[in-house]
Amino acid sequence: MAISRRAFGLGLLGAAAAGTGGYLTLKDRPEFRGYLGNKAHLFGFIGGEKQAFLADPDVVHALGGYGLELDARVAGSVEMVREAALLSQKPQFLWPSSSIMVDLARKSGVAIRNDQVVLNSPIVVYTWGPVVEGLKKSGLVTVAAKGGYNQLDLKALLDAILAGKNWSDLGIGELYGRARIVSTDPNRSNSGFMFAGLVLSLMSGDVATQELLAQHGDQAKAIFRSMGLKSSSSGKLFDQYIAGGLGAEPMVVGYENQLVEWALADPARWQRVQAGMGAKPEILYPRPTVYSAHPLIVVDPAVDRLLEALTSPKLQELAWSKHGFRGPLGTVAGDADAIAGVRPAEIEAVLPMPSADVMLALLAQMDS
Amino acid sequence: MPKTLTSVLLLAFAVLLAACNSSNVKFSIVSGSENTVLEPIVQEFCAKQGATCTFAYEGSLDIGLGLQRPAGLDQDAVWPASSVWVDLFDSGRKVRNLTSIAQMPVILGVRKSRAEELGWVGKPVFMKDILAAVKDGKLKFLMTSATQSNSGASAYLAMLSSALGGKEVIEPGDLDNPNVRETVSALLQGVERSSGSSGWLADLYVDSASKGTVYDAMWNYEATLKETNDKLKQMGKEPLYAVYPADGVAVGDSPLGFIDHGRGPEVEKFFTDLLAYLQSDAVRKRIADTGRRLPLGGSAIQAAAEPDWNFDPGKLVTSIRMPEPAVIRKALDLYQEALRKPSLTALCFDFSGSMEDQGEKQLQAAAQFLFTPEKASEVLVQWTPSDHIFVLPFDSVVRANFAATGDAAGQAQLLAAVADQHAGGGTDMYACAQQALQQITATPDLPKYLPAIIIMTDGRTDGSADFFLQQWRNAPVRVPVFGITFGDADKSQLDSLAKATSARVFDGSGDLAGAFRAARGYN
Repeated sequence: MAISRRAFGLGLLGAAAAGTGGYLTLKDRPEFRGYLGNKAHLFGFIGGEKQAFLADPDVVHALGGYGLELDARVAGSVEMVREAALLSQKPQFLWPSSSIMVDLARKSGVAIRNDQVVLNSPIVVYTWGPVVEGLKKSGLVTVAAKGGYNQLDLKALLDAILAGKNWSDLGIGELYGRARIVSTDPNRSNSGFMFAGLVLSLMSGDVATQELLAQHGDQAKAIFRSMGLKSSSSGKLFDQYIAGGLGAEPMVVGYENQLVEWALADPARWQRVQAGMGAKPEILYPRPTVYSAHPLIVVDPAVDRLLEALTSPKLQELAWSKHGFRGPLGTVAGDADAIAGVRPAEIEAVLPMPSADVMLALLAQMDS
Repeated sequence: MPKTLTSVLLLAFAVLLAACNSSNVKFSIVSGSENTVLEPIVQEFCAKQGATCTFAYEGSLDIGLGLQRPAGLDQDAVWPASSVWVDLFDSGRKVRNLTSIAQMPVILGVRKSRAEELGWVGKPVFMKDILAAVKDGKLKFLMTSATQSNSGASAYLAMLSSALGGKEVIEPGDLDNPNVRETVSALLQGVERSSGSSGWLADLYVDSASKGTVYDAMWNYEATLKETNDKLKQMGKEPLYAVYPADGVAVGDSPLGFIDHGRGPEVEKFFTDLLAYLQSDAVRKRIADTGRRLPLGGSAIQAAAEPDWNFDPGKLVTSIRMPEPAVIRKALDLYQEALRKPSLTALCFDFSGSMEDQGEKQLQAAAQFLFTPEKASEVLVQWTPSDHIFVLPFDSVVRANFAATGDAAGQAQLLAAVADQHAGGGTDMYACAQQALQQITATPDLPKYLPAIIIMTDGRTDGSADFFLQQWRNAPVRVPVFGITFGDADKSQLDSLAKATSARVFDGSGDLAGAFRAARGYN
């Protein structure tokens, strides 16, 4: 195509004008700020369950739009707010998996500028089809009237474990030996930490206090002692559950989003598992359960922009639709029914965690 | 276009192409011996990537101890039989991205005709049934050392769990329970041969069968039993019938993990790609074909069941709950110090003239390691008072014959005796082997012990194996003759002796104490 010099010049001028206008527009839109250069690098620690979310190219791209690039290193939620070796590295932010960690961070002397819950995921129990069928027969699992999901009478299960019941006593003839449930190490990892709080509250009949801990701490300790070797991270335990199957890992504690994320990561695999003959992974929602909130702890002012980005509709939508994390209030952004049968729209019975002091005392007691 | 430009462009293109095809990454993996069968699958991937991959096969304890050292392991990846060993020893969290490749229950393979005699075919078998068969003298088995190898540790922990009567997990106090100790000790009396490696044990079974010695049974991975049976069937021998103890087995999760030595992002990327390759459907199918379990793989992937020997990777096995790391460590000490079958070991030490200076120094250092309980217990090869030890220093003749039990005083006595020896004279290891065999066969209550001769020598020997082997064949027990080489030793004579007696030779030229340690894992 031939083009006259004049036309070429006009074209250049037009492009420049559009560019300037575009620049002015972009400057006012935080999600495009990053495309103008000047990316901020932020360093901090995150719980392992959020690793896949932050590594997702769509998430990286969206954060890039905000001019953010993260150096997010994985650490246990409990250790990131307590370990001197981690805190001395001067993280600009901490992103643990429980609100209680904000209190613990403060106790450790972290200069918290701001903190806000960005994501939520309820604590659930992962198990397998034959276990669900058996527990339905023995009445420990019922189907929620609203939402149709499987809810577990966790208190009754814990009582059965403490009473030394066998799987067969609970209606599960396929498995030999004592019934058991396994979580991560509460001293290192958040899902185990939260499960410890939930167990203590259930044994106490109310949200646990120091007095109730004195009365019921031993029962909680016995539940954890029966677990044997405990994994140091929620991601690791979930992998063991998937890899080990019904015989090796009949019941483990995890976050709701883990199976969702696993299913979404390879939809063909998920379909194959659903269609296969073998035992299928199942989620049980303890009634009541506790919510694992994921508060972003802002230490450096530069992290304000990260908080803004993570709470934006775009990233909230990605968090739910690709990784199964609920929003700040436990609600879901976007399509609620992406994976049929996995996610209930709302969970009715949620218990608050015991206070930080009670939890620290419980950990100390379990360690002894 | 000028010719030169064309060729420059072509060259650039070729270089680019080569760069795409060849990563030039050098990648090393330290792995359990059970993965030998998977190495070709990994090597295929390495070749495709233009990478050079090397495998080093070590026992689980070695891998664990390597992780525990401040400097850690030299390799880029670990692939032990079970993540338990990483949990136990990787206190510095050097291993990242540890991912299970397959599940491998440790079960008991019993010669099919023996399984039929015992009434075990088509029925659930419990550990108490195995115990009864051992006590009645109807069953002996091969099992790797629980302190050196994962399959032995797995079988041992399953025995402990069962002895607790179905308690949910082993706790520290349980190990002091006299009933538990008695039960497990009685079960371990069934051990006929031990080793530091599951792969070697399976080879021993097949080799012995080819020579006409058929062992009753073997504890090993379900997948290793499949490999073994494939070979036995080819040889026209009877297969090992798979017994899945109904009260629970330990399951190895065969995890592959990355160790970052800071050798650049391309090394880590290579690891991630390797992991993705091993998890791809086509490769999972090939892994499953070896008899490994891939629980969510479904019937399309899982190997077909072989009912003739009760193999069924789709069969649900209940696994025992792994105890806390401190309990496992205590249980392993208990195995080594109290519950295992006692060793009856004759050590032939070469003090011939060629050992002068360096050789003598290293041999003395190795004896220090062997007979100093604190040192030997660090790597779980300590002796116990129930063990019987003979030390025979030799040159062209056997110079002396020292005997002691494995208590502290006995070990000190042996150490002092070795310290008095100095190099000089010729070499005849067969003369020493003969006397060692006489010592062993003259021991009262011979069936209570696991016998072995260990010969350490630095070179060619005079004499002939014939007379010794004739005596060996007439002995009431089969005594394996292990070799440890030193310096630039000619291995051929030791090799043929080890081969004839179903043993193996360890290279002590780099680390003599380490070689003795490895040999102890077989006894």
